[in-house]
Amino acid sequence: MPAIFLLLLVASATQICWAHAILMESSPRINSTISGPDVDITLRFNVRIDGGRSRVLLVAPDGTSSALTLSKQDKPDILQMRASGLKPGPYKLQWKVLASDGHMSNGDVPFTVK
Amino acid sequence: MLVKLVDLFSFLSVVLRAGTLVFQSVLLGGVLFVLWTARSSPAASEESIARVRASSWKLLRLSAVGLAIVQLLYLYVDSAVLMASADIGFSGVVGANFFISGSIVLVAALFTAIVASGNKKVASWALPVLTVVIMAASVMTNHAASRLEGRPLLITLSSIHELATGFWIGGLPFLVLGLYRAKDIDTRWYITERFSRMALFSVGALAISGLILSVIYIGSWGAILGTAYGIMVLAKVTMLGALLILGGVNFLLLRDYPKDQVMPRLRRLIEAEVGIGITVILTAASLTSQPPAVDQVSETVTPAQVWHRFKPEPPRLAYNFIPETDAATGKPLPPPNATAVNIDGVPLTPRFINNTIESESNHHWMGLVVLAMGLLALLARTGKVRWAEYWPLLLIGIAVFIVLFADTECWPIGWKSVGACFADPEVFQHRMAALVCVGFAVFELRVRKQKKENDPWAMVFPLMCALGGAVLLTHQHAISNVKENSLVELSHVPMGVIAVFAGWARWLELRLPEENRAIPSWIWPMCFVLIGAGLLNYREM
Repeated sequence: MPAIFLLLLVASATQICWAHAILMESSPRINSTISGPDVDITLRFNVRIDGGRSRVLLVAPDGTSSALTLSKQDKPDILQMRASGLKPGPYKLQWKVLASDGHMSNGDVPFTVK
Repeated sequence: MLVKLVDLFSFLSVVLRAGTLVFQSVLLGGVLFVLWTARSSPAASEESIARVRASSWKLLRLSAVGLAIVQLLYLYVDSAVLMASADIGFSGVVGANFFISGSIVLVAALFTAIVASGNKKVASWALPVLTVVIMAASVMTNHAASRLEGRPLLITLSSIHELATGFWIGGLPFLVLGLYRAKDIDTRWYITERFSRMALFSVGALAISGLILSVIYIGSWGAILGTAYGIMVLAKVTMLGALLILGGVNFLLLRDYPKDQVMPRLRRLIEAEVGIGITVILTAASLTSQPPAVDQVSETVTPAQVWHRFKPEPPRLAYNFIPETDAATGKPLPPPNATAVNIDGVPLTPRFINNTIESESNHHWMGLVVLAMGLLALLARTGKVRWAEYWPLLLIGIAVFIVLFADTECWPIGWKSVGACFADPEVFQHRMAALVCVGFAVFELRVRKQKKENDPWAMVFPLMCALGGAVLLTHQHAISNVKENSLVELSHVPMGVIAVFAGWARWLELRLPEENRAIPSWIWPMCFVLIGAGLLNYREM
């Protein structure tokens, strides 16, 4: 009986988005407003990241997205890249990273270019 | 479609990770059991110990093959998730850390199966080597490997923790099997005593390494209840406490009673230890899929927020919904008032509030039924209220409740037809759960009224309880809405742990010799009462 309940509870529990690499700090910061048109981007995580198998997309104000080229990793927990030619408007960075322990994580960094 | 597939595979990945940890622990425990615990000795009958060793080698081979299969599936699923998420080909996956370590474990497990089938002299040196290889590769994919600071210490502690888990909990299935296979009491005594000595040492190593790792990964007292990670560690510690109590009882039995009186009880207690132990490993696997509490300091729920959510309040038994749209314009209404906010202070919409009212009310009604079942089971236990023996009939009440209220848009009270309802997977799941409830009611009544306690079907009920609890402890965790999800964990995890205890207490009641059933026969109804009370105070806002 509790088994049925508990299974129902599991089914209704949290949204699916598991992982354990989390974003500790970013530049630009979440929901910040920055100057364009060229923007240096830095993402710092809580664990070592496999940069070669991680991806960062930039979603433009018109909804189109493009993959950003990651620079060579200087530090194991940091990903760096550059976005050029950004026009004013709201943007979003969509990151998907592979932690060195094999867990995938993803998340967004919304920001505005003035 | 792709997103749903990735989600499904992510869930499978957690389950398979749990599977690899269980098989790995059993393999480690098996290696120690065949090489040390069940060694030939003048203290044990030669024929009997040969039977024990033969069955242990067989179980070791099975666990090695099991580890290889689950590891292969895990590699496949994780590779598929990575290929779909990062848009890279298989050649790009091959160099990833998890792929290398997983492949090493896979190959080492296959070699273990081969070595365990061949010359035992070769096995005596090859198995320890393979064990070290498996351990080293496994540690490459846990929290310790990905940390930025203090890696050598963390990796050392993690290795000790995993090894001690394997030697103790992973060795328990071999002990249970050995006790069945040994023909005479002296051999049973011999292997139990040797195992207990090793277990005592392993428990010490497990506790010390676990304590240091917890201090490092949790970081503060507040994070124990304020983060999902802390709550899961607390669940692990609670179950470990139960294992220690069972282990302590075993120790006292071995010390204070004659061999022939002890063995029947001991075997049953060890069966429950195996079940709870495996649940601890599953919980550990779940822990590896979420960030340590120390990385989520700003997302830690405060004691005041915990109290606000869980302070006892009257259950919500009426569905008092609020209007979601303006009657005149038909437009969605704004948040109703300034106090209706979530844990981060974001105003709640009328739609969200209504969904929460429905969910909370459903939980509270269920809580009432479970509480009634627990109380009736307690009354039945006193032996003075015979009609209370019929408490399983309340399961049929739950079934009716699920059919009527789990999906209010559906037949028989909603506007959707029977066909349309069954075509919806979620509704189908609910209706199947209702059917299982009816099945359980019939089974449990049969067991209770006809005293069919040795019937294998009698074990279905306790095992389903324990399994339900284990699933609740193993499910995947969210990284979005971190605070809200910590509170969800805080409501779900205790019920999972209590369900595990309920299941194994009922198991012991059925399996122990009749004169030793008193304590477990009180424990599981009290667990039902606690789960009912927890559901009655369940809240989402």
